[in-house]
Amino acid sequence: MIFGIKEKSIILTNFDVLFAIATNIHVRLKTGFVLQVAVQGTVSLQCSNVRRGFHRAALLRLASDSKSDTSVPPPSYHEVHTAGESSSSSAQGESSEDAQPNTSFQDQSGEHGEDYETEEQLQARILTAALEFVPQHGWTVEAIAAAAETLGLSSASTGMFNNGAGDLVLHFVAQCNAQLAETLAEQNNQVQLGQAEAKKTAEFLKDAVETRLRMLIPYIDTWPQAMSILLLPHNIPDSLKHLSTMVDDIWYYAGDRSTDVNWYTRRAALTGIYNTTELVMVQDSSPDFEETWAFLDNRIKDVVNMANTAKQVQATGEAVVQGLMGAAITVTTQKMIQFPERNILSTKRLLGLLF
Amino acid sequence: MQRAAKCALRLDLSRAFCLSRSGTVVVMQKSLPPPRDEEEKAMLDSMLRVDHAGEYGANRIYAGQMAVLSRTRTGPLIQYMWDQEKMHLEKFNEILGEHRVRPTLLLPLWNIAGFALGMILTRIACLLAFEGTMSCTVAVEESISEHYNSQIQTLMEAEPERYTELLQVIKEFCDDEKKNRDTGLEHDAESVPGYLLLKTVIQVDCKAAIYILQRI
Repeated sequence: MIFGIKEKSIILTNFDVLFAIATNIHVRLKTGFVLQVAVQGTVSLQCSNVRRGFHRAALLRLASDSKSDTSVPPPSYHEVHTAGESSSSSAQGESSEDAQPNTSFQDQSGEHGEDYETEEQLQARILTAALEFVPQHGWTVEAIAAAAETLGLSSASTGMFNNGAGDLVLHFVAQCNAQLAETLAEQNNQVQLGQAEAKKTAEFLKDAVETRLRMLIPYIDTWPQAMSILLLPHNIPDSLKHLSTMVDDIWYYAGDRSTDVNWYTRRAALTGIYNTTELVMVQDSSPDFEETWAFLDNRIKDVVNMANTAKQVQATGEAVVQGLMGAAITVTTQKMIQFPERNILSTKRLLGLLF
Repeated sequence: MQRAAKCALRLDLSRAFCLSRSGTVVVMQKSLPPPRDEEEKAMLDSMLRVDHAGEYGANRIYAGQMAVLSRTRTGPLIQYMWDQEKMHLEKFNEILGEHRVRPTLLLPLWNIAGFALGMILTRIACLLAFEGTMSCTVAVEESISEHYNSQIQTLMEAEPERYTELLQVIKEFCDDEKKNRDTGLEHDAESVPGYLLLKTVIQVDCKAAIYILQRI
């Protein structure tokens, strides 16, 4: 299927028509206007592929509009692949060499996997760059737009992020968790090599939570906004997943290998500690957040005390039960001795049932 | 694809190192290959979770049986089988810890339910038949070996070379369970009237349990 802009009109599918209309509108308008409006109504998966391709086309063209007025044919997948890596000017240079615009759709099914990975990497790059603009713009789409511009893309690329600010916050959380996991693995490595002492559980947990919370310090002023974004209903599953992964990591490196209810109680306890300490941190104004770390220390001590108390209660309970059973045996044996004419068999049966 | 990479990275980082109780680090033999994507991890997780809960339940069922049969002639035999189940449970505890598999939330329920099942069914069987019958044992072992067989089938259909160690472990346990069942049969377990009913009840129980465990 051959696709052409403006000049040729051959057999087109729905998607091609949409692309043609959208591209034509773009060429005529020549403004920074986001053209995703043209593709909002599409539903099918192939349309979203077209949309992605169209976004990239839009990005390249809007960015290169200032450079040249010539309309270039839609980028092939070779260009799309390099668009994420290089600046728009070099991509434009490559696009002018392109003589087969139709290959973009024909190759779609084959190179779909490669393209998907590139988009994710591109999104990750934009979001990481956007973190620098968070103190200025907050956790908003404006920060993402500002970052896109510094990377040489147009601010229209925020259209790639369906969740907007939610994507940014979740990306940051995932990044912090990955960093924490690396740090903990490194420490574990050192302990294993004998270069460091193994910490006690309470100290380990305290240090791990402190490390993770310290990553919030650069963004602490805008963190309440991020927390409220994470509490939005459509973000809750993802944020809970990140939280549970982080807590699982911390306990794993703390040496927890339990396979019973303790697995759940420990993680629940640590989740509670982490969340409350986070809340204390956002409204803490002491130098270097001393109050937060003191709060954290106290909470961990509480949990450890509770665990010890629970163990003691269980041991006491077991001892009491054994004592009672011993007393029961003594009493029944006494009765058997005192009243031999009574039915000894019934007493034996009773003992048999008990034990 | 990135999720797969992240998943693999997370497991690679945890590697084969784990802390034993004394604080020294122990390098353990990995029984499973690192999962290549979320789907495989989910599948293996649920499989191991069910197996672990199954062994835990079997442990409790034997405890219940022992509560009834400890003074009879089959007492020592049941004790021996129980010790075997304890070893199986130990092995699964190791595997779960090593691969960071979540144990099932229903373990406390299993604790009580298994003990009650073992005790009540054995009591009923004893009342119906002779003292010290092993019908409960045979029925339970039958269900468990059926379950292990189906798991072995699933793994073989997927990729036998990838899961060699896990297959070995499961096959070994399956053989142990079959041996226990045969021992039970030798002791005239089937002579209980209503043995078929007992067996059906236990099989339905086990199937329901497996269904729930795969999800929670």
